[in-house]
Amino acid sequence: MRIGIDIGGTFTDFVIFNEESGTFITDKILSTPHNPDHALLDGLEKINQPTQPYIIHGSTVATNAILERKGARTALISTQGFGDVIAIGRQVRRDLYDLFTTQPRPLVDDEGRLEIQERVDHRGQVLTPLNKAELPILIDKLRIMDVESVAVCLLFSFMYPVHEQIITQALRQAGFTVSASYEVLPEFREYERTSTTVINAYVSPIVDRYLGGLEERLEVAGFQIMQSNGGSIRATEARAGAVRSILSGPAGGVVGAFNVAQTAGFEQIISFDMGGTSTDVSLCDGAIRVTNEAEIDGFPIRVPVIDIHTVGSGGGSIAYADAGGALRVGPKSAGADPGPVCYGRGGREPTVTDANLLLGRLAPDHFLGGRMELDIQAAEKTLESLARNAGLTPWLDLTPAQTAALGVIKVVNAHMERALRVISVERGYDPRDFSLVSFGGAGGLHAVDLAHALGIPHVLIPPCASTLSAFGMLTADVIKDYVQTVMMPGDAPFGKLEQLLDQLADRGSHDVQREGVSEDRIKLHRELDMRYAGQGYELTLPLTPDFVHVFHALHQRTYGHSAPGSPVEIVNIRLRAVGGVSKPTLPRSPLGVEDPSKAFIGRRAFVQEDGKIAHEPFYRGEHLQPGQVIAGPAMIVYKDTTVYLPEGSRANVDEYSNLVIEVRSET
Amino acid sequence: MIAFDPVRLEVFKHLYSSVAEEMGMVLRRTGYSPNIKERRDYSCALFDIKGRMFAQAAHIPVHLGSMPLSVMEGIQAYDFSPGDVVILNDPYHGGTHLPDITLISPIFIGQDSTQELFGFAANRAHHSDVGGMTPGSMPLSNELYQEGIIIPPIKLVEVGVVNQGIMDLLLANVRTPDERAGDLRAQMAANNKGVERMGELVNRYGRQEVEKYIYGLLEYAERMTRRLIGDLPNGKYRFVDRMDDDGLNPEPVEIAVTITIQGDEAIVDFSGTSPQCRGGINAVYAITLSATQYVFRALIGLDVPSNAGCMVPIKIIAPEGTLVNAQPPAAVAGGNVETSQRIVDVLLGALAQACPDRVPAASQGTMNNLTIGGWDPERKRSYAYYETIGGGTGACPGADGIDAIHSHMTNTMNTPIEALEYTYPFRVRSYEIRRGSGGEGCFNGGNGICRKIELLHEAQVTILSDRRRFCPYGLAGGNPGQSGSNAVIRNGVEQTLPGKVSLEVQAGDVISICTPGGGGYGKKTG
Repeated sequence: MRIGIDIGGTFTDFVIFNEESGTFITDKILSTPHNPDHALLDGLEKINQPTQPYIIHGSTVATNAILERKGARTALISTQGFGDVIAIGRQVRRDLYDLFTTQPRPLVDDEGRLEIQERVDHRGQVLTPLNKAELPILIDKLRIMDVESVAVCLLFSFMYPVHEQIITQALRQAGFTVSASYEVLPEFREYERTSTTVINAYVSPIVDRYLGGLEERLEVAGFQIMQSNGGSIRATEARAGAVRSILSGPAGGVVGAFNVAQTAGFEQIISFDMGGTSTDVSLCDGAIRVTNEAEIDGFPIRVPVIDIHTVGSGGGSIAYADAGGALRVGPKSAGADPGPVCYGRGGREPTVTDANLLLGRLAPDHFLGGRMELDIQAAEKTLESLARNAGLTPWLDLTPAQTAALGVIKVVNAHMERALRVISVERGYDPRDFSLVSFGGAGGLHAVDLAHALGIPHVLIPPCASTLSAFGMLTADVIKDYVQTVMMPGDAPFGKLEQLLDQLADRGSHDVQREGVSEDRIKLHRELDMRYAGQGYELTLPLTPDFVHVFHALHQRTYGHSAPGSPVEIVNIRLRAVGGVSKPTLPRSPLGVEDPSKAFIGRRAFVQEDGKIAHEPFYRGEHLQPGQVIAGPAMIVYKDTTVYLPEGSRANVDEYSNLVIEVRSET
Repeated sequence: MIAFDPVRLEVFKHLYSSVAEEMGMVLRRTGYSPNIKERRDYSCALFDIKGRMFAQAAHIPVHLGSMPLSVMEGIQAYDFSPGDVVILNDPYHGGTHLPDITLISPIFIGQDSTQELFGFAANRAHHSDVGGMTPGSMPLSNELYQEGIIIPPIKLVEVGVVNQGIMDLLLANVRTPDERAGDLRAQMAANNKGVERMGELVNRYGRQEVEKYIYGLLEYAERMTRRLIGDLPNGKYRFVDRMDDDGLNPEPVEIAVTITIQGDEAIVDFSGTSPQCRGGINAVYAITLSATQYVFRALIGLDVPSNAGCMVPIKIIAPEGTLVNAQPPAAVAGGNVETSQRIVDVLLGALAQACPDRVPAASQGTMNNLTIGGWDPERKRSYAYYETIGGGTGACPGADGIDAIHSHMTNTMNTPIEALEYTYPFRVRSYEIRRGSGGEGCFNGGNGICRKIELLHEAQVTILSDRRRFCPYGLAGGNPGQSGSNAVIRNGVEQTLPGKVSLEVQAGDVISICTPGGGGYGKKTG
């Protein structure tokens, strides 16, 4: 038995895969934010486990430790003269026009930033030897400050790690938890490397305690932790390298979306996860894309992370009329608590969910499987006052509240459309070549309209839309990433590069085997980061004998120009070791009749895009069978999400029970 | 008055700004130089047929108000055909200083025979060399001609065909022609993206609707600005501050402003400002306009689109021939980077009298431009390095200022030390927060930066900085921030350098730059 467990802000999701029967069960229980492990353990207890299960887990423990500044008391040791690198950062402010702008407080305060005499140059030659006499003084200072965790990051340590090694050894002997940059990220650019190392030092003790506690209490066959790169590693490994799980929350969703889409025959997708307070979008062009330029709370993290763009709008985003007379939505959100006005839990300001309800797009009697009553009068009242504040004139036959509601949907769709353009057009992709995979509670109501606006031909909605992230964890391979800055001229012999990468490959293969993956299931990807000499940005390409030629071609393709005669540099070598795990296969049933009437609930009124009121069919999503076809306009109601099928679109239930929606094209 | 739908207003705001942002992404992706790719020293904007800016991707505030003047110059100089591109950098014809090169493309819509002019897409990028006296084209000059190649508005591209003669002339006058050619191609690609996307929007919504909401958004921004000004008490607010010197003469140069608030309109009058000077710190009118627009845009404090509407309720009086409206052939290299900061300081100083709770004390008030050029015997090539250095920001009513960061008219990134030492024959000795440099107060000003760079071989160093004599002011009884200082350390002996200086250095010399702290806010208690 394999169990994927995703702890989110509101719910803790479980997806249980029984390998013998090939069946899935999903479950959701309310999260326990103060002790996230409570919900996990309670949920596991509920599940009847005949054998010890194999668990893959993703949590926001590391993320929250940073956002709430509840990490370990951390110190930083830097080269003399450079202790402030972490505070200066890249010397830019977050908001150009905010006279009262603030900067995130560094995770290591002034007092915790210590320096030591030493200096290495860019070739790795020692200019000033390490002053070992300072070590006992440093250790005394750390003890007085009651430091729990120490980050060590010296200039050019990736070229000559000896000084960091000596310091690390001394500190570990003195009983400190140490994160050293030569271990965490041996890559050039001191601020980004220091930031990554400091974050690791800051969150590792917290994650260590959390996972250690779980490991003690769980009786399991295996315990894997989801990583931000879309892979998983053993909990024991994850405890020391917590920086690699910081952005793992949304990663499971992308892995799950891509797996479901591939199974259904779609290789090029944009995943669209619209939740209560935010929306995550990611693009997979035949493979999940990772970036080395992620950030958390303004701090860079230079380990590979799935390239996900997040915007602060979702079902709970609050709408208001601004001083200039525009109708705005977000970034303020009603969140899960108090939630939208219609939840009746004290929310007073109209949200996207209230607007959808008033437009008849949510079936109140089926919301969350009928477990929650929705107060439509309260939603109407608050939208009415929004209409008044914005000075809206009622449209066609609509009431002022309905007009406002439709406006709220249009504005939030404008936010989403922009987010989808960022992940596609701004990365050099044409959205028309992709399919939109929508999951998350709020996505189904907006996905088809968005696809239409962007010319996306298909929308895919998996049956387990709201637990896709936990499902994704079940399908995640074991992935380990390694990088080493080498800074060599482009005419470096291929054999030399191979030799350097072989060292990383040996490490990668060894580490993945230690995760319990047999050697024949390991794939090693050898890559180079290259650039034209003197440029400030690199392109990543696979190591091949004609890598210089490949670089010029890639530069041409990516940036529209290249300079084949100009000298190039190899900045970093990268290795990704992927250990394939046996993935659960989705249950498949043969296609049956097209007639969906068995899932028919009734005809109900709802407001369409064009402001007309339609009386169209509602269907129960759980009752749909493979092969059935529904033509829009219609609503398909699942217990945790609702899908709006506008006029002209057509949903086919495929053999995996996904909704594959053909979007009305412009012509 | 036309009635605008509050929903469409918001939807179109997103549409237009995403077009400007996509232009910016194209420029950054296809740009060649680190200045564009890493430091992001560029801006993109869209204009209607009358040259009114209706959307801008926010990158560099100093480009904010000055781009419209470029487009106006272009419109006045030429009739446009589809596929044309006008280039310019002449500060006296729509530019600001010579390294900032602007490209303007007309947006035509409709089919081949019935194409109609709709508006313009334009972008501006800072090029790391455009010729002139010193590498990096930020010299200590005394006339414009020394600062680089001057490009009046000319058609670089006519109906889709690049005028190779102009391109060759241009590239023959710069130190790094390949990089320039690459960046110019990227700038053209960015405009093309803007033209293409506006065409798509017109197809999707119709020209009438698209134009209606351009005007809607201009009015919207105007309404927001009027509201802000209307909230300020009527009256005249005067403030005077000084630049240390012009780099050639030691006398300080004054900038004076009187802001008159009358109902929901403002008159910003720079009468009393010193005459334009010999050294290169003169600001052309475009910069004064940018700084003014920045200050009001920032004071609104809300997410308002940066467009021409913001400036409708504000009248600027900048007497010709003064530091804030220089006339040819005055040298202007530093006007964009240094004087622009002081203009912001005086505007905020005046407005602090009108709304003390919304204005912070003075920030560092300089960009600390450092240019180093020479021959690198290790890498066997000549090089030109340019960077600006952050400092302290002024304390706010309610919060300390921020340490070591860029303020007001710029926001460009630093070059990592490890990147610097890989690329140039330098060794950074230290890079630290300059503790104690922020002005004390109830809330303290942010601290500046101290950066020490050792030159491993002889080189030409040019520093263009200010606030080395006159400190960033405090407010409400807060102390001023410390002034900055420049020095060269030779054989262990430190010698102070002026704020604006160009010198030959020898191998082993260390250049030390300490940047100013921000002013404090409120009297320090206890």
